[in-house]
Amino acid sequence: MKKLGKDMDRREFIRGLGTTAAALGAGVVILQTGNLAQAATPIKKYGMVIDTNRCIGCHGCTIACKSENNVPEGVFRSWVMQIIKGKYPHVKNHLLPRLCNNCEDAPCLNDCPTGATYRTPEDGVVHVDRDKCVGCHTCVLACPYNSRFINPLTGTADKCDFCYHRITKGLLPACVDACTGKARIFGDLNDPQSEVSLYLSKYPVQGLRTYLDTKPKVHYVYADEAILNLDYSYLSRR
Amino acid sequence: MNEPIQYLSWIKHGVVFGYIIAMYMFLISMAVGAHLVTLFAKAYYRDEDFLPLQKVGTFLPLLILLLMPLLLAVDMTHPERSYTMYYHWNWTATVAWGAYIMPLCVVTYAFHSFYLFRPEMMVAVREGRPRAELYRVLLRGKIEEGTAAEIRQRQQKAERLWANLTIVFSFLALIYVGMRLSAFKGRVMVHSLVMVFMFISLAASSGAAFMILLGRLKTTIAPPPSPALAKQNRFLADFGVILKFALVAQLVIWVIYLIQLNFTGTGGKLAAYIFLGGPRSFYFWAFQVVIGMLIPLALVLVPALRQNVGASLAASVAVMLGAFYAVANLSIGSQLIPLTHLEWEQLAPEPFRTAFGLIIMAILFILFLGSYKILPYENPVSQKSEA
Repeated sequence: MKKLGKDMDRREFIRGLGTTAAALGAGVVILQTGNLAQAATPIKKYGMVIDTNRCIGCHGCTIACKSENNVPEGVFRSWVMQIIKGKYPHVKNHLLPRLCNNCEDAPCLNDCPTGATYRTPEDGVVHVDRDKCVGCHTCVLACPYNSRFINPLTGTADKCDFCYHRITKGLLPACVDACTGKARIFGDLNDPQSEVSLYLSKYPVQGLRTYLDTKPKVHYVYADEAILNLDYSYLSRR
Repeated sequence: MNEPIQYLSWIKHGVVFGYIIAMYMFLISMAVGAHLVTLFAKAYYRDEDFLPLQKVGTFLPLLILLLMPLLLAVDMTHPERSYTMYYHWNWTATVAWGAYIMPLCVVTYAFHSFYLFRPEMMVAVREGRPRAELYRVLLRGKIEEGTAAEIRQRQQKAERLWANLTIVFSFLALIYVGMRLSAFKGRVMVHSLVMVFMFISLAASSGAAFMILLGRLKTTIAPPPSPALAKQNRFLADFGVILKFALVAQLVIWVIYLIQLNFTGTGGKLAAYIFLGGPRSFYFWAFQVVIGMLIPLALVLVPALRQNVGASLAASVAVMLGAFYAVANLSIGSQLIPLTHLEWEQLAPEPFRTAFGLIIMAILFILFLGSYKILPYENPVSQKSEA
């Protein structure tokens, strides 16, 4: 390399800088193309449909999830939101079971600085590698559904992964198994004959914050608008 | 549609980026802002007597940038693994870019500082002045002949190269802190490119304020000879002019931002409400607007007050406080909007982290003052007489 000084003029310096930047850019593109190609064509696409008409609000899914995944007190991978709408005697109870949407374009995955959050290319499930996570909280903030938390036991990010240790053995996720009203239907969205695909083709499907274009893989059926899309003006009115 | 709704069961998630992260982003923007303001002022004045202030505006930001990772480390649950960011690099993550930008920024600042102090250190070694042995070690024993001005002339290209690189990395650092917030897709308050401009304006105002405060402290602790002192006081008064325009720019950007929020649906309106009448309204109106913008603007508008030491110091401290609360209001305020229920999220008390942040600030202040006694900020008298 030439010594910077009289031997190197500005044009030469800018040319060198440009070449380095182009080489770096090309390197990054080559490195990432393989990952993107893998992520774009999963063989399976695990997803869930939740029929809110069938949910009875027993919180069995919450307890099953906690016991299956050893989720500590105060944090939840899966839980049920409940509201009451209307005035007595015309009141209606609405329930919305919640879990990680394992989005196809997951903001948490995009924002994770270490790649601790990753997607298994064969089924599209989003995971957290506890050995790589630095606990920077970025993914917790990046998730537009508040589905992530820092596990107080491990000090790393945590979230629902559809009970990956069960589904890879042909079992159903713990919450689906425990659901009293059979409100949760789990399966491969790429298989047109799976129960979940048939359900999706039969009913009008809703999703959480669909305008963000994160392509969530947890869908809802018969969910009330008041519980699905919260009326934020309520907060400023109070 | 307008039926009464009662929320029976939900989960509160709290605020995960607290005051320590706000402190981190504020200090980075202030440090690079001080450096940029100084460099542009130097390009404008092209005066030898500005050099001591340029050293203040380069070396002190370097100290800030060096200690900033500690604030991040105390916020992480596994800081011991943070080196993994470099080889498990995820190019879509803002923090991953920051992991490269910030250390490179520190490197450029360090080289630029070295070249700024190098001629004076060489003269001090040759003349056997106090701390000559320390300077000899820093110079790795390579002592050149000639006056400080001649040595500076010889190293001009290298000095200019590092100065230019610091400009590039300073702007990259500002883009990084802005994008760090704007990357959060679901957070309507910060998910906007305005964040980058917000941090640039905050950097300009808090950077100019930093220069006034630390420049005045320098002239008090290690005063230069009287003709240089008069000039430096004039430069410091002129930083008040930069502060005035930076505050006006900040006001304009905040007005545009709040208007933009009001046209960004219900979530945007709620985000604006958080500042104007919601949970962050006291911090917004009292600290950010009145203390951080209006009072200092009134103080720097009048030329006589800009030259007054007390008034300019008061204005600079107020601006720095206001800039800190601006960052905190954005960072914490954006997380107060609940995503899964209709209660404001709460920031849990974090006494340990806040105390740690304050200790880091105190250490920085001590290092600033200590550096005035150790490093050769002032131009050597011999250099001037020869020149």
